[in-house]
Amino acid sequence: MAGLTRTAGAFAVTPHKISVCILLQIYAPSAQMSLPFPFSSVSQHNRLGLYLLSLTKCCDDIYEPKLEELINQLRDVGEEMDAWLTDHLTNRFSSLASPDDLLNFFNDMRGILGSPDSGVVQDDQIILDPNSNLGMFFRRCILAFNLLSFEGVCHLFSSIEDYCKEAHSSSAQFDASNNDLESLTHYDQMDMEIYAIDKATEELELQKNVSGSVPFHLHTPEAIFKVIEGLRVSPKESSRTSKKITETTLVASASSSTVVDTLVDESLFLRTNLQIQGFLMEQADAIETHGSSSSFSSSSIESFLEQLPNLAPELHHVHFLRYLNKLHSDDYFAALDNLLRYFDYSAGTEGFDLVPPSADCSMYGRYEIALLCLGMMHFRFGHPNLALEVLTEAVRVSQQLSNDTCLAYTLAAMSNLLSEMGIASTSSVLGSSYSPVTSTASSLSVQQRVYILLKESLRRADSLKLRRLVASNHLAMAKFELMHVQRPLLSFGPKASMRHKTCPVSVCKEIRLGAHLISDFSSESSPMTVDGSLSSAWLKDLQKPWGPPVVSQDSGSRKSSTYFQLCDHSVSIPGSVSQLIGASYLLRATSWEFYGSAPMARMNTLVYATLFGDSSSSSDGELAYLKLIQHLALYKGHKDAFAALKIAEEKFLTVSKSKILLLKLQLLHERALHCGNLKLAQRMCNELGGLASTAMGVDMELKVEASLREARTLLAAKQYSQASNVAHYLFCTCHKFNLQIEKASVLLLLAEIHKKSGNSVLGLPYALASISFCQSFNLDLLRASATLTLAELWLGLGSNHAKRALDLLHGTFPMILGHGGLELRARAYIFEANCYLSDPNFSVSTDSDTVLDSLRQASDELEALEYHELAAEASYLMAMVYDKLGRVEEREEAAALFKKHIIALENPQDVEQNMA
Amino acid sequence: MVSKESCRNEIRAAIRQLSDRCLYSAAKWAGEQLVGIEQDPSNFTPSNTRFQRGSSSIRRRFSTNESISTPQPSVGFSQAATPLPEEDETIDGDLYLLAKSYFDCREYRRASHVLRDQTSKKSVFLHFYALYLAGEKRKEEEMIELEGPLGKSDAINRELVSLERDLSALRRTGAIDSFGLYLYGVVLKEKGNETLAIASLVESVNSYPWNWSAWSELQSLCTSIETLDRLNLNNHWMKDFFLGYAYQELRMHTESLAKYDYLQGIFSFSNYIQAQTAKAQYSLREFDQVEIMFEELLRNDPYRVEDMDLYSNVLYAKEACAALSYLAHKVFLTDKYRPESCCIIGNYYSLKGQHEKAVMYFRRALKLSKKYLSAWTLMGHEYVEMKNTPAAIDAYRRAVDINPSDYRAWYGLGQAYEMMGMPFYALHYFRKSIFFLPNDSRLWIAMAKCYQTEQLYMLEEAIKCYKRAVNCTDTEGIALNQLAKLHQKLGRNEEAAFYFEKDLERMDAEGLEGPNMFEALVFLATHFKNHKKFEEAEVYCTRLLDYSGPEKEKAKSLLRGIRMAQTGFPSMDLEHFPI
Repeated sequence: MAGLTRTAGAFAVTPHKISVCILLQIYAPSAQMSLPFPFSSVSQHNRLGLYLLSLTKCCDDIYEPKLEELINQLRDVGEEMDAWLTDHLTNRFSSLASPDDLLNFFNDMRGILGSPDSGVVQDDQIILDPNSNLGMFFRRCILAFNLLSFEGVCHLFSSIEDYCKEAHSSSAQFDASNNDLESLTHYDQMDMEIYAIDKATEELELQKNVSGSVPFHLHTPEAIFKVIEGLRVSPKESSRTSKKITETTLVASASSSTVVDTLVDESLFLRTNLQIQGFLMEQADAIETHGSSSSFSSSSIESFLEQLPNLAPELHHVHFLRYLNKLHSDDYFAALDNLLRYFDYSAGTEGFDLVPPSADCSMYGRYEIALLCLGMMHFRFGHPNLALEVLTEAVRVSQQLSNDTCLAYTLAAMSNLLSEMGIASTSSVLGSSYSPVTSTASSLSVQQRVYILLKESLRRADSLKLRRLVASNHLAMAKFELMHVQRPLLSFGPKASMRHKTCPVSVCKEIRLGAHLISDFSSESSPMTVDGSLSSAWLKDLQKPWGPPVVSQDSGSRKSSTYFQLCDHSVSIPGSVSQLIGASYLLRATSWEFYGSAPMARMNTLVYATLFGDSSSSSDGELAYLKLIQHLALYKGHKDAFAALKIAEEKFLTVSKSKILLLKLQLLHERALHCGNLKLAQRMCNELGGLASTAMGVDMELKVEASLREARTLLAAKQYSQASNVAHYLFCTCHKFNLQIEKASVLLLLAEIHKKSGNSVLGLPYALASISFCQSFNLDLLRASATLTLAELWLGLGSNHAKRALDLLHGTFPMILGHGGLELRARAYIFEANCYLSDPNFSVSTDSDTVLDSLRQASDELEALEYHELAAEASYLMAMVYDKLGRVEEREEAAALFKKHIIALENPQDVEQNMA
Repeated sequence: MVSKESCRNEIRAAIRQLSDRCLYSAAKWAGEQLVGIEQDPSNFTPSNTRFQRGSSSIRRRFSTNESISTPQPSVGFSQAATPLPEEDETIDGDLYLLAKSYFDCREYRRASHVLRDQTSKKSVFLHFYALYLAGEKRKEEEMIELEGPLGKSDAINRELVSLERDLSALRRTGAIDSFGLYLYGVVLKEKGNETLAIASLVESVNSYPWNWSAWSELQSLCTSIETLDRLNLNNHWMKDFFLGYAYQELRMHTESLAKYDYLQGIFSFSNYIQAQTAKAQYSLREFDQVEIMFEELLRNDPYRVEDMDLYSNVLYAKEACAALSYLAHKVFLTDKYRPESCCIIGNYYSLKGQHEKAVMYFRRALKLSKKYLSAWTLMGHEYVEMKNTPAAIDAYRRAVDINPSDYRAWYGLGQAYEMMGMPFYALHYFRKSIFFLPNDSRLWIAMAKCYQTEQLYMLEEAIKCYKRAVNCTDTEGIALNQLAKLHQKLGRNEEAAFYFEKDLERMDAEGLEGPNMFEALVFLATHFKNHKKFEEAEVYCTRLLDYSGPEKEKAKSLLRGIRMAQTGFPSMDLEHFPI
């Protein structure tokens, strides 16, 4: 590093540049005439000028077009004089027979530059202004040539030979299309045009700089990976001309350099340094999105990356890309090796533009970033303890070097790690962390630590104006607040407010704060990072307007519209930002799920799936699918859900840490319970429990869910005491690990158990407790179902409570009918019927429709759900009512239905056969 | 058993053949071995004795257990005594003679051109060889000319393609001789076709074993012991040279030393063997011995530059400034543009604390030879001294990328990161270095220290490392002391006492004194006193009394306490009446 970097050879003469010089000479010959020889019209002349301008714009290219490609492009630009242009070019090259000719060539070239002091310029005189873009390019070429040693000239000479050898000799015939356009345009207008292009390209570059790439999503460790990744390429770096590789033939081969005669592959010749970085970024994105899926071959990228260091040994960025590639192909050792190599060489100063470089950082390097990356790598490979150690060290080092930015990221990574790792496993790990930040909180629970870390990270990110980090932190915070009840942390005492923080308002606020990012991006234009996909996107677009509109401009307005279009395209939001915003929609969906509004949840998920589906990472996409499938299962029955699951399985099973299996188990369990296949249900429970304890640690939430389901299975098997034992134990666990929301559902389950076992009196307090929990955490849907249970318990106390039960039910009916799933609704309907029937004041004969309507509704919904137990109950009630009314035929029908359900309930196997 | 005479005859013929083909370094090597063979006492000439006097003395000093006159006949030098090939032309062609003189004047392309249509095997080989060298020369030049901002170094030998084509054609027709096979192997190696290269080189050395260049190329391809074992080599005494060298490069120093010991039976005065032995001994850290060997070597061969960088390392380690400057001066006068010379000078400046100058010379060494591994590592050390850690890390990393098994560079990387307060990160590098040299106590101690830092404070792991260090015969005795202290810190007094005793034994054996000694004695005395083992406690206390200072007072008070304890309950059984 230090001291070893060579002085940057900023600009080297290459055969391609000589071609451009030759063309320049044609464009502006030293002879003073209004329109130089081959041009038939001014517009033709201008066309060549524009073309040359674009060529000079990308003179710092990583890849230069071959002569053949240049000739092909000329054909498009030159129209009828293309043959002449090509001939001239090749003749000029073939006239270079010795190094001496080169020397003479450059001496001649000097003549076409106008002298800077010649103030008097005649109107019709073509002068290459030395300070114009073209003139500057020209002067740079001449200067670079003059600096060459004789060996250098020899090399240039031999590379010209190669350059010409490759070019195909046959110049194709062209029909000279005769389109005489308007003949007279003033030169100052031409200048205006050039100016316009200049402006446009500058703008484009600016836009490119503005756009950053921080793909982000909340739940996976890649989240911050990508933040870092997004920050790797900085404008500063890419503008450094030293990052230049000449003759990167492999880039050409990588991007399919087949040049079809008609279509000029512009993307080949517009590769600036910025773009090689963009290319690398694009590869990184590709690795990221398809990383672990089987369709993506990491070996092809790997072989490409292996060649790159040979051509440019000092381009260390490659090592990082190799690391990413290895990371996603789950090759731990190679990934580690490449990561360390990257940071050993670059000292973290290359590419990471987190902080404006200050004087002292050059001396020490930025190895704390290495620690951050390493920590996240360990996390991804499932070594949370190692990851935590490394991140702790990162915190310490960044504090020591007062690298606040890195600290903010590290804290965010840490909180992500802690919240991901599950809660049970961390207590042992945290004993050994000594970081000042974490040690202050050593007495706190893990959740509180996560909270503190997030807060700290957010504060720093805010003050440093790291917009993406702020946004993602807000989202993480929202997620955290959604999941955990926050009592005021540090202020205990009588005056401390006891407001629980899961209130939807604050969650919503956090989510919105996160989503503000998008407006920030469109309004501000501070230099951010280069987004590979974006820069290549406008490149692709450039291909379209480049041909016709620029060349055959018939009116100024049309031309400007194309330019506008061009600019317009590049104002699109960078992929990373849209990903972040997509994540916020997912989170919204989750929060609505919690608060119990199914339509809102579904809507948000759908918004995500339609708008952000293609820019999202695979794991986020998976999550959206999962949510939709869950929704289907709840509201449309299992059949639809399983059909959708099959589609999702094909799509996402290859994703690492796939949650599809989890969902499948949940659905199967649910269905087995409904069908009464308790053995299967039990098996599913056990498998779920197995999934909870991974190599990374115990996922507490999953574990709780598994035991909850176990208790429900036991309940269905009518083993009440065992079920209540499990539930009690579960309640203790939830209390211990501070899982407040789960507590509410456990309480409800206990109430349910007591209801089923006939101890309604015992059940009442549980139901009431559950309701109060739900109330304080704003879990509306759960509250509705708890109220339903409460009503059922009241009814269980005797028919004299039927009125009260009915009132309770009617109070929650809007919620249940509006947002509840099939099962809940059916239950409510049946219960309503039950209430009426047991009410002594109610007479079936007069008001039979009220009861029958509800029952019919219930049995319809249960049919879709295949819930035999409840369906049997509904049919039974129906049969009873019909019996009372004396409608025999209908009674028989209902009875047959009842029988069918009972039989299905008792012989569940044959139903299950086709499912498994 | 080959007789020395037959060896001598073989080598003599080989030297002629090798220099006919302009394989000069192989010829040089063979020549060194030729004079390395012990002369028959019958035909001593005064010059011979003068030349060999020095060597014999050193040999006697260091190979006492080996009987020179009767080398073990076990492996057998010459089950397959390869017959010397007859030269296909007794009278050299005129063109050949011209080409050879061109070649000797380093006009390779010209030489190759002269021989373009020749058919004799010697001429054909020389034609190709000259072409290869011409390509190499051009490549070297281009490398400097093309050096770009990113250090682009894709200059290649442009002759390789045509050489490979022609040589493989020759091989197919069977018209290739062993020298051609050697060249073919070299070309294949440069083109990256290693398996074919190995096959070609093996064929070459089996048919003509005296070409040391072929052997060294073969060695460079044997990067693992498995590859080495797979080689199908005929038995010949040259094979033993090869194996010795290969073992050394694979860090199997004892095996290598055994080979050289064995070879010394015939080549008793070979400077090469002596230098190689010194190298192996250096790796085993026998610095005193190595220094003497190099002194002898320089006395016999005062203008030698090869391997002298190793000598300078020894002198550096022994901090012999004057000797190092003398050596540097000497090699400087002999040939200043050798990487070894630059390295020696760099070492000298480093020892003098002038690190900037040292870096300059190391960098010059690297300019002369890009792959000169030790210069990168040494430069890394210099940067560490200059507190320029990023540069140091960069230098070390380059060394590691050239040779991934360079444990010094891995160690340096670890050290650099530890210096920056990233001990956890550093651990990985220490682990790497230990992987390549698992029985070096210094590496284990470094790793243990890393675990011990206040940031990590993983004492259990540190203890494990120190235990490994103790097992690797830690010469500086840090490990025992640290083990004792760590156990003491963790409140495991029994273990602490055990290690303090061991440490004390070691210090006694080496006749050392110092604060460690006091510490051990004080601890042991109090420990035994607390455990009511008054006799042992008294022994340690009385030892302490020999020294002055606060320890003496401490010992006195301890002794008083012991007396009290003993006299206070003279008749009572302590076990029954615990206080």
